Amino acid sequence: MSPKYVGQRISRTEDPRLLTGQALFVDDVNIPGMLHAAFLRSDYAHARLNSIDVSAARSRPGVIAVYTAQDMGDAWQHGPPLVIPPPTIQNMVFHTRTQVPLVKDKVRLIGEPLAVVIAESRYIAEDALEDIIADLQPLEAVGDLERALRPGAPLVHEELGSNLAAHFFQEKGNYKSARQQADLVIQKRILIDRGIAAAMENRGIVAHWDPKSQRLTLWDTTQSPIPIRNGLAGMFGLAEHQVRVIAPFVGGGFGPKIMMFYAEEMVLTWATLQIGRPIKWIEDRRENFYATTQERGQVHDAEMALTSDGRILGVRDSFLHDTGAYDPYGLTIPLNTQCHVLGPYDVPNYYAETTVVFTNRMIATPVRGAGRPQGVFVVERLLDLAARKLDMDRVEIRKRNLLPPDVFPYNNQIIDQAFAPLVLDSGNYLPLLEQAATRIGYQPFIREEQPRLRAEGKHVGIGVVMFIETTGVGPYEGARVTVEASGRISVATGVGTQGQGHFTSFAQIVADQLGVNIRDVELVTGDTAEFHWGTGTFASRGAVVAANAIHAAARAVRGKILRLASKVLEAPEEELELADGQVRVADMPEKSISLGKLAVLANPLRGAVQPGTEPGLEATDYFGPQYGATAAGAHAMILEVDPETMMVEIKRYVAVEDCGTVLNPLILDGQVHGGVALGIGNSYYEKLVFDDNGQLLNASLADYLIAAATEVPRIEVGHGYTLSPLNPLGTKGAGEAGTLPVPALFAQALEDALADHRLEVVEMPLSPNRLFELLQAAQESASGR
Amino acid sequence: MKLQGEYLFDGPRERVWEMLRDPNALARALPGTQSLEKLSENEYQGQMHVRIGPVAGLFAGRVTISNEVPPESCTLAVDGKGSPGFATGSGDVVLTDQGDGTTRLQYEGEFQVGGKLAAVGQRMVDTVSKSIIRQGLESLNEALREGVTGAAELEPAAEPEAQPSTGYRPPTETRFAAAVAKDVVKDYAGDLMAPEHRAVWLTGLVAILAMLVGYALGRNAGHD
Amino acid sequence: MDDRHRVTVTVNGAQFQQTVEPRLLLSDFLRHDLGLTGTHVGCEHGVCGACTVLFDGQPVRSCLMFAVQADGHEITTVEGLGTMDQLHPLQEAFRDAHGLQCGFCTPGILLTLIPFLEDNPNPSELEIREAISGNLCRCTGYQHIVDAVQLAAQRTSA
Repeated sequence: MSPKYVGQRISRTEDPRLLTGQALFVDDVNIPGMLHAAFLRSDYAHARLNSIDVSAARSRPGVIAVYTAQDMGDAWQHGPPLVIPPPTIQNMVFHTRTQVPLVKDKVRLIGEPLAVVIAESRYIAEDALEDIIADLQPLEAVGDLERALRPGAPLVHEELGSNLAAHFFQEKGNYKSARQQADLVIQKRILIDRGIAAAMENRGIVAHWDPKSQRLTLWDTTQSPIPIRNGLAGMFGLAEHQVRVIAPFVGGGFGPKIMMFYAEEMVLTWATLQIGRPIKWIEDRRENFYATTQERGQVHDAEMALTSDGRILGVRDSFLHDTGAYDPYGLTIPLNTQCHVLGPYDVPNYYAETTVVFTNRMIATPVRGAGRPQGVFVVERLLDLAARKLDMDRVEIRKRNLLPPDVFPYNNQIIDQAFAPLVLDSGNYLPLLEQAATRIGYQPFIREEQPRLRAEGKHVGIGVVMFIETTGVGPYEGARVTVEASGRISVATGVGTQGQGHFTSFAQIVADQLGVNIRDVELVTGDTAEFHWGTGTFASRGAVVAANAIHAAARAVRGKILRLASKVLEAPEEELELADGQVRVADMPEKSISLGKLAVLANPLRGAVQPGTEPGLEATDYFGPQYGATAAGAHAMILEVDPETMMVEIKRYVAVEDCGTVLNPLILDGQVHGGVALGIGNSYYEKLVFDDNGQLLNASLADYLIAAATEVPRIEVGHGYTLSPLNPLGTKGAGEAGTLPVPALFAQALEDALADHRLEVVEMPLSPNRLFELLQAAQESASGR
Repeated sequence: MKLQGEYLFDGPRERVWEMLRDPNALARALPGTQSLEKLSENEYQGQMHVRIGPVAGLFAGRVTISNEVPPESCTLAVDGKGSPGFATGSGDVVLTDQGDGTTRLQYEGEFQVGGKLAAVGQRMVDTVSKSIIRQGLESLNEALREGVTGAAELEPAAEPEAQPSTGYRPPTETRFAAAVAKDVVKDYAGDLMAPEHRAVWLTGLVAILAMLVGYALGRNAGHD
Repeated sequence: MDDRHRVTVTVNGAQFQQTVEPRLLLSDFLRHDLGLTGTHVGCEHGVCGACTVLFDGQPVRSCLMFAVQADGHEITTVEGLGTMDQLHPLQEAFRDAHGLQCGFCTPGILLTLIPFLEDNPNPSELEIREAISGNLCRCTGYQHIVDAVQLAAQRTSA
């Protein structure tokens, strides 16, 4: 059966609703009697809460309740750890400290919630925040990772005696002895700073406890509705079936919306249980800068040992990772970083050491990329600096070190974020690199165009980098596929959707299996009343794990259809075909039955059925991969920088991606474009700026700059197709890939553009100001010599 | 954040010092003051309501004066808190007799701001602070020139008709904020990435910030 | 906030009369008082452009206006363009070119573009990018949005 839909550029079935304002987002939920919540947040990053007086707020007209930690009594509890550290790594230190619903005694991060006001309107709730008097005694705050580890540093969690949250190392081969044989060792300190995900929709929750039906319904902008349901039920002593979590249309996720449990999820649930009325909280944009998780803060001391002909003998990377004030997400981010330092390269010896540090900042959890961009930045920078020292071409040094196509599956001998050995399932890297270099015109550019432009006084540079992405990790997802009496197909799966086009790409799989029009496949995602097994949308796994579960369920339904139709049409199953919503005998098309009629026959109102028969044309199935599928890619860009204004213009951008089977190239292109746009932000625009007291100095979109249409270039997307052997569809994840290589690429192209300034970029994100400082410093050190 | 600057008063040092020590005179130069309470010889506590456009907030501030050498110098520690954030710090104020009937005021201090002030106002803090100080000192200087003393009771400054006796009209909240906002927008309008709307939005915030910093510094000088 | 004001506003061709607090934002008025939740609020400080509506035919950020300022004026929101069965040509082009992902910023972008395309029926890529540079999108990287606008322009001129 050749697929009619899978692999096609199909426009999305969800779009008409989104385009006409008819799609339900959490803030659109409106229930009679609904109340509104606003949170009082700490203006200090670190402080002791001596007392809090909410009496004036409580007596303000329109205020229904004001709650502090004290009011929650025994219901006040730390959030459960979301991800435990891998049990298989030896000699690991890990101190679990998880977030609280409301501050009880000590503020540990800027913006930590102190109290909540529940009122008849959001306006009144915010008015009442000003009535609350919180007596906070400021403490010295800590944000700098190295300073945080020094003796005498202010302690985020005093009882630990230091700010060390975790420490572990992983080893492959023997780096020390490899280093001794090296002709060249590149040693660098590399800094990557914090940014935010900034989904255009802020977070939001509507929590509704209905005392009469004894049911709790939660509309939540979460990427992970099922674990939210199970967790809240456990936390508040409800049966899981009493709790329904709905993640309706979600306006972008990018990682932070998978964090659980946010303080607001715990507080709103508890509050609606007290009040028995629906309560809505919608995060505002400024709150989003404090209350939603962030990522990327790391300090690396990295080195690479090479032979004189540019072959990697080994890599050593020791880094500090900023987890913020708590570490509910375990070691996912730093494990990803460790794994992605190895990249698509043959690194025979590797020593990776990670120290996770508590700071007075918001919790770090994955943001599109999740530690991977940092790893890519480290290895790609080391390779570039080595190429410079060896006077070797940047593309050539990569070619010399790429893993060849015959080594897969390739075991890198360390543990990945899914606690499984880092095995690269499949890949063919050289063609990706060559395609990127050819498409951008690497050779003609450096030979002819660049010298010509330089002669005109222009500062133009080119870059080419590579990366891998571990995607599609387990544990599993599930789906249920049902043929309805109308002949329409309904599909339910547990993963939520935040714009990835699941409604369409998943429907394509089902439509192909059942021979129906894609517009007759209706998908429900993210509603625990529809499907309640699964984990969530993260780690570029939707198109791998959920898609294969849907594929499996659709195949099972196809089997049921064929069995029943064989009886009804009195023809062997092999002679039947599914097309146009019918089952028909292949060479007697007039002998057919519609799927709708067949569904009615499968669910009779009268008459006996044979024992063991399941009613209906419905199947539920699951998919859990053995380990993650590894995507890969090569990106290239040409940029021009004006050394007077430090403004950078990206002239051309090429992204070559290999994510195995492509379900919908239109959607894939969109994922790549969006990923690259964030990567551009991560390179030159987006950085959270904190002062020494942990105050965030740019908590608005006026000061924290997100790349607009004028900053993002046209992106040419190319493809490689190495199918994953680990799942029937052969898919690999693609959601995060676009973001991963951009900072490394940007750095390389920028250095090339400013070659006459001998610029060295070992930090991200940059900005025009920072680039100016770097150029000044490069100039001074050059003239000093 | 460092604050540093100077201002030339059209009057002798003793008169300037007297006025700076008089909380009522100061309060009138800084409108919006709701209460001013003397906690001890060297400590004051005050509240000030700020309402500019859609943003409103009540600030509570405390000032401690030390190292006082009349009529030459003193050190002021300020701690101001309100819904839009906080500002704390301390600074030295020095008055120098210029010998020609004028007096030079120099100030230098370190301040920390937090909360909304830091988050959305930081890049304007410097300009705003300077502007607010200059506006406040200009009001005082005007009062000095008009011969207004601090004898009048503290009363709402929002009704200029209430002080018909001299030519000196204490600024209203709105006038004061507008003057500061004008200074800041002039400085920063060039930076604004996007259109007219942002300028409007910033103006409101700037004004809030101005009021707080101005308040803290105004109270700095309040002593009798 | 006792003083309430009566406002009469025409939204998508229908007239509404409501009594509102003077501080009520136009965006909240449209979304919560009138139930027109297609207008989205992304930043509440006029940067992201998600809440853009047409005010007497001109794009404005409804989070930067008060409902009382709309008294006597005409507003168009995304609900006033096409319907699910009969999309506006620009909406159709957005669907065909995959000009949206999560769709949160989309209503604001559509309404920014409607008057732009009226004034500029055959825009260049650079003109399109400048036209939407006041609308932030975190999903698409803007490329398919640009493609959608070009597609809409082609179809209209064809």
